[in-house]
Amino acid sequence: MIPEGSLLAAHDLRKTYGATPALDGASFSVHPGEVVAVMGPSGSGKSTLLHCLAGIITPDSGTITYAGRELSAMSDAERSALRRSDFGFVFQFGQLVPELTCVENVALPLRLNGVKRKAAERTALEWMERLEVDGLGAKRPGEVSGGQGQRVAVARALAASPKVIFADEPTGALDSLNGERVMELLTEAARSANVAVVLVTHEARVAAYSDRDVTVRDGRARDLEHAV
Amino acid sequence: MTLLDKSRAPVAEAPRPVPPSRGAVTLRDLGLGIRFAAAGGREGWIRTLLTAVGVGLGVAVLLLASSVPHLLDERNAREQARGETPISDSPDANSTKSDSSVLRINTTTEYRDRTVAGYLMRPDGSTPVLPPGVARFPGADEMVVSPALRELLAEPGNELLRERLPYAITGTIGDAGLRSPGELLYYAGSDTLTTAAGGHRIAGYGGDRQGDPLPPLLIVLVIMVCVVLLAPVAIFIATAVRFGGDRRDRRLAALRLVGADIRTTRRIAAGEALFGALLGLLIGLALFLVGRQFVGAVEIWDVSAFPADLVPDLRLAVLIGVAVPLTAVLVTLVAMRSVVIEPLGVVRRGRERGRRLWWRLPVPLAGLAVLGLWGRVEEYAPVNPFPITAGAVLVLFGLALLLPWLVEACVNRLRGGPVPWQLATRRLQLSSGAASRAVSGVTVAVAGAIALQMLFASMNADFNRMTGHDPTRAQFAGYSESVTREGATAAIEQFRATKGVEVVIGSVEAYASKPGDYAEEDVQPTTSLTVGTCETLRELARIGACEDGDTFVVHPQGDKDMTAWVDETARKGEVLEVGTGEKPMRWTLPAGSRTVTGRVDPMGDPHYGIMATTGAVDAGKLPGATITTRIRVDRSVPDVAEYVRNTAARIDPGMRFVTLDSVERDRQYASIQTGLRVGATAVLLLIAASMLVSQLEQLRERRRLLSVLVAFGTRRSTLSWSVLWQTAVPVVLGLAVAVAGGLGLGATLTWLIGKQVADWWLFWPMAGVGGALIVLVTLLSLPPLWRMMRPDGLRTE
Repeated sequence: MIPEGSLLAAHDLRKTYGATPALDGASFSVHPGEVVAVMGPSGSGKSTLLHCLAGIITPDSGTITYAGRELSAMSDAERSALRRSDFGFVFQFGQLVPELTCVENVALPLRLNGVKRKAAERTALEWMERLEVDGLGAKRPGEVSGGQGQRVAVARALAASPKVIFADEPTGALDSLNGERVMELLTEAARSANVAVVLVTHEARVAAYSDRDVTVRDGRARDLEHAV
Repeated sequence: MTLLDKSRAPVAEAPRPVPPSRGAVTLRDLGLGIRFAAAGGREGWIRTLLTAVGVGLGVAVLLLASSVPHLLDERNAREQARGETPISDSPDANSTKSDSSVLRINTTTEYRDRTVAGYLMRPDGSTPVLPPGVARFPGADEMVVSPALRELLAEPGNELLRERLPYAITGTIGDAGLRSPGELLYYAGSDTLTTAAGGHRIAGYGGDRQGDPLPPLLIVLVIMVCVVLLAPVAIFIATAVRFGGDRRDRRLAALRLVGADIRTTRRIAAGEALFGALLGLLIGLALFLVGRQFVGAVEIWDVSAFPADLVPDLRLAVLIGVAVPLTAVLVTLVAMRSVVIEPLGVVRRGRERGRRLWWRLPVPLAGLAVLGLWGRVEEYAPVNPFPITAGAVLVLFGLALLLPWLVEACVNRLRGGPVPWQLATRRLQLSSGAASRAVSGVTVAVAGAIALQMLFASMNADFNRMTGHDPTRAQFAGYSESVTREGATAAIEQFRATKGVEVVIGSVEAYASKPGDYAEEDVQPTTSLTVGTCETLRELARIGACEDGDTFVVHPQGDKDMTAWVDETARKGEVLEVGTGEKPMRWTLPAGSRTVTGRVDPMGDPHYGIMATTGAVDAGKLPGATITTRIRVDRSVPDVAEYVRNTAARIDPGMRFVTLDSVERDRQYASIQTGLRVGATAVLLLIAASMLVSQLEQLRERRRLLSVLVAFGTRRSTLSWSVLWQTAVPVVLGLAVAVAGGLGLGATLTWLIGKQVADWWLFWPMAGVGGALIVLVTLLSLPPLWRMMRPDGLRTE
């Protein structure tokens, strides 16, 4: 069932919202350091698949295994702890805490993990430098451009040294130039740190940065290389 | 251009529209705003409803407050209508007996700390006058009761009250005969009541005795109670008008995109606020009218009202109807000055510089100056309410103006701390105005309450009289003029046999006079003769050793004139006339009587005259004697007071029976305190509702962000603590302003009435209430917070 060597794998996931099925037998897997694009039209269930894989929502049925552990067997608190320590997130918009400065935003996952403020902000600044936004540390999200904000969000996703980054339409609100730079920085940083990336997008241009595509249609994921 | 074009007739230029007048533009924009508010889709409706419900709650409270004058008028009118039209207080006023006159006695009693008013009545003829609200005169051993008393008597567990009022219920007293729906009142019929037994004759009802006018000190109190209770309501309404402001600003930004200028957006916003306020007026009116129907069934701290009495004063109602929409428009226009709405949905705070203290601080200082210069109250001069009202309003609103500056100045200095603290303080740094607005109501209410408490405390001595009672020696006292002779000693025994009674100091008292013929201008030497057991007499005089049969001449302590007067009457070995009326009893004071000094009894009354043990004088044979009982009980016996009162009612329903208390509160003073408690409860609930709505609105705005925070594993507790800090920091600062301002205002008011501050630490309870509000609002915010932390907020499709 679980592809050999995979870090995160899902099998036969089903999820409905009221009478509307969002996932209808979807399966998926990702290996360490691999960048997988989840593609599909609007309303196909891409985001629901991502939320299930990240343990944000629980599927109605099916199994999700992360590093040999069954996600559905974990309590809400255990899944939250897993998200703090092993997962990172990048969303389309509205993800940075507006009242915190950029460096405080990047340091936030570390601080939630109990790292002291100064140490957390030191690490955050290193990641911001790598994402080419080191000059924005003291600015608030409202004072930076969309592309800069998205790079700050990528830095935040990487700051806590996660094993998997979940990116839901990370370039959806950016122009093509900014979008491509964000994708370059995200995938480069992830590959160099051996971090797996689950990238939800409906743009082929963005999906081109991935190692592999998975298409979701009517709640079913079609994994072209690791059919499970 | 082509040839074809040449041949075509030139197109007529589109007629230039005549620019509308300024007034028309304003009306058009206001109308547009009203349309947005009324038909702005779900989001628009939520905002409008939030405002309208908030304003409606405030309006309902204002309408309630404006009904108080009518309520009091009606209540006083009914009270006067049932007042007695007396014929004579004289016990032998038989000559004025008529077919409609009634003999009656007040039999009011207390039951479990509630007053049960009552009268025992005996008709003189066949058409006795009826009290208001009573359809038929109750026959002997029958009674008519108020609905509240009927209900109380029917409830299980009130057997002791039924035992005390052993009359058959034959009717119900109508509203016209009651002060309020919760009043406990009965009229019982009797065929044995006489003037000798304490009854007095009345010709009818409807006394024209006006109530006592309020003394100046109490007028100051009433003014302050009104200001303190209504100022937070005004602030609440102003806050409610700004509910959902962020969402509205975003919508207005879209209008800027299609060409609306900044003035237009402001007018549209004013139109929206106007609609919300008008809808709020309607909701407030509806809440008031609906709530009024249920007000008769509610009783808080013994205060209840008939729905028909709650009629707002017309002038005040018109003022509310005009002031509320006007306030809504003004507040919105002022609020809009601090935001710059630009096209493309950009809403940027216009104020980059910090809030200024220079124009805020003079407002409360001006209030203090007005109070100091024109608010001084003289003890016997009429009170001018305007400077006091204006001064107090300026101080309280000035505190509300100071708060945003203080919150901004303080939160901008906050650094570091754990994640929840950081989230909260950063949020406050970004928008301290919203937090201050939510808290300004608490600040004003608490400051006003502290000032009032100080005022109350400084007046305490004027309105709380030390009675001189000693509740450690006896907790109850009863007097009866109708229980005499054999009945008197039997009555004392009945008290002794009552459950829970430890000691009865029961004495039979009569007047003893020096016999002789006296000229009209001479006063016959007279003193009191007190008969009781040795134990009883020991409580009334320092008699030392005592045996049954002993008699004493008792001198008052430290009063030479009265001592001489006692000695003039009580001559040892000489005959005395005992009792009043035509046939006094002659009795010789034994020559061996000892002279002793009197004591103060548990009632605080000094005793002197002649004292005799029961073996020396047969108390049952003393003409015109009365009994006085002072009773000490075992407080641990449940309902012990009711057992004692039942015994008293059994012995003589007309017995004056009082609970001994070392302090007696003035009734007007006590009712103002009760009114303050009732009002403060309503205002604090309103403020809690306001804070909760603001909190929920902020949370709603941050729904997506909350979901993102949850996505990367933020604990519930982290966000809950951040909400707590976010509420607590401004409230603590608000309480600091309230304590400082309240103490300042309280000290000024105390000085105005020429008193000293009695206690500077009175702010603690109010500060505690403010703290409780933080906890309450946070707790009530948590369930919606947790709901909003669900991942649904992450869905974008």
